[in-house]
Amino acid sequence: MRLGYYPGCSLEGISAEYDESIRALFAHLEITMEDLPDWICCGTLAAPSLSRLLGLATPLWNVAQAEKAGYEKVIAPCSACLYHFKHATNVVMENPPLRAEVEAVLELPLNSPPPTIHPLELLSDDGFEALIRGSVKRDLSDLKAVCYYGCHISRPAKLMQFDDPENPQSMDRLLNWVGIQTLDWPRKVDCCGAHFSMIKPDYVVDMCQHLFESALEAGAEAIIVGCPMCHANLDTRQEAIAAKLGHALNMPVLYFSQVLGYAFGLPDKELGFKRHIVDPLPLLKCLKSPLPTLVTSGTSHFPHSTL
Amino acid sequence: MAFRDEIQTLSGQNVNLCFQCSKCSSGCPLADKMDLKPAQVIHSIRLGRADSVLNSQSIWLCVDCETCTSRCPQGVEPASAMSAARVLALQKGIKPSVKVIGIYYRGFVDNMRLNGKIHDASVAGITQLLTGQLIADLPLAMKLLVRGRVKPPPLPLGGGRFRKIYRNALAREKESRA
Repeated sequence: MRLGYYPGCSLEGISAEYDESIRALFAHLEITMEDLPDWICCGTLAAPSLSRLLGLATPLWNVAQAEKAGYEKVIAPCSACLYHFKHATNVVMENPPLRAEVEAVLELPLNSPPPTIHPLELLSDDGFEALIRGSVKRDLSDLKAVCYYGCHISRPAKLMQFDDPENPQSMDRLLNWVGIQTLDWPRKVDCCGAHFSMIKPDYVVDMCQHLFESALEAGAEAIIVGCPMCHANLDTRQEAIAAKLGHALNMPVLYFSQVLGYAFGLPDKELGFKRHIVDPLPLLKCLKSPLPTLVTSGTSHFPHSTL
Repeated sequence: MAFRDEIQTLSGQNVNLCFQCSKCSSGCPLADKMDLKPAQVIHSIRLGRADSVLNSQSIWLCVDCETCTSRCPQGVEPASAMSAARVLALQKGIKPSVKVIGIYYRGFVDNMRLNGKIHDASVAGITQLLTGQLIADLPLAMKLLVRGRVKPPPLPLGGGRFRKIYRNALAREKESRA
C-alpha cells in the first residue's frame, strides 16, 4: 500500500518533535510513506471562516495532489488537518455541482480522492499488534499516564468513522501493547481550546486546567496526545495553570509516537524530547529499563525486531 | 433569500430539525463564554433573527470542536451553522464581534498567500502584536525559540499555488452572488 504523508504546518514549526518522532517510528517499523508533493496549508478554521469555497478548495488541493500521486491513503498526524481534509472531501464529493466548482477553482480533477487517516488509525489496527509487541525494548509498565484524544481523532463520528467519539480506545490499546497500563479518565475527548492559545490564552488556560485537574485525579504523571495543538496548549500553558491551581504542575506531555519510539529503544535525539517546555526525560529515565527478559532472550519471532 | 435559507445553502443544515434539547449547549466547552448558547443560535436562525446571530460573539467563539455536531440527536451540525454564519456576516459587511478572532483568521489566510503554508511563529507574533498580547507571551516565545520550535520564516516563494486558489475561489463566489 502506498501511503502519502501530510505533515501540516505545525509539524514544520512548533511541533517539530511530532514530525521527527512519527518519521523515526515509521522508519523503525519499516512502514514507508512519501511526503505529499506540493502541499499547502489545510486552511484550518481560518479559510472557511472567510469564504466557503476557499475553505473547501484549500484542503482539497492537497487531496487532489494525493490522488494524482496515486496514494491509497494519506496519513495526517494533525487532527485539525485530518478533519478539514475529510470534511471537505465528504461535502464536495456528495454534491456534484459543488464538486465541479471546486475542480474549476483548483484547476484539477477530483475523481476518487484517497481517504485521509490519523496515524493512530493505521497503527492501532490488529495487524500491527504482533509487530508492535515484538519491538518493545524498554519496560514502561511503571508509566502512569492518561491518553488525551482531543477533538478530531474520532469526532464527529459520522465523518471520522474511527474509534468511539465519547470514549476512544485506539491510543490506549496501542500503549497497552507496549506494556503501559493507561489510566481511565473522563476528559479524554474534551477540547483544549486549539488555536485560541494565540488569541484568547485565558480561555485555553481555563480549558486545559480542567484537563490537568482530571488527569491528576486519575493519578497520571504524564498526558499522552495525538495532536499538535493539544500538545502545544498542554505543554506551553502549564505555568499559568499552575498559578491558578496554586501548586506546581510540571506534567510531561508526550506524543504517542514519542512513547512508542522510546519503548522501542529509539535514541532520545530522534524523538525530540529536548524540544518540550516540560522536560519528559526525568520521568522516562526513572522508569525501569530495559526489559531484562527480552534482552537476554536473544531471538525474536518478529522480523522487524532488532533484538 | 430568508436568513434561515442562506444558512442552509451555505452549510446544508436544516435547523427546523432541532427540537431544542440543548445537548449542544451542555457539551460546548465555550458555552460559558458565549452570549448566545449553541441551541439559542440554532433557534435564532430558525426564527430568522439575522441581526442577533450575525452580531453575536458566539459564532466567532466557536472553536469547531464538533462536540455539538457529534451529540445532536437530530443530526443537526451547529458547528457548521456557526461557520456559515461567520461567512455570511463578512459577506454582509458585519465586522467580527470578537475582534481578535477576526484579526487572527484574516492574518492566517494572508500568511498562507505568502507561501502556501503558514509560518506559525509569524502568524502568532503578528496576531499578538495587533491584539496587544505580544508582551505577555514573549517569555514563552523565547523558551520555544531556544528549544528549536520557532523556525526562521521562509522566503515568500511558494505562495503561487494558494494565491491561485484564493483568487479563483473569491472570484467565483462574487460572481455567483452577483
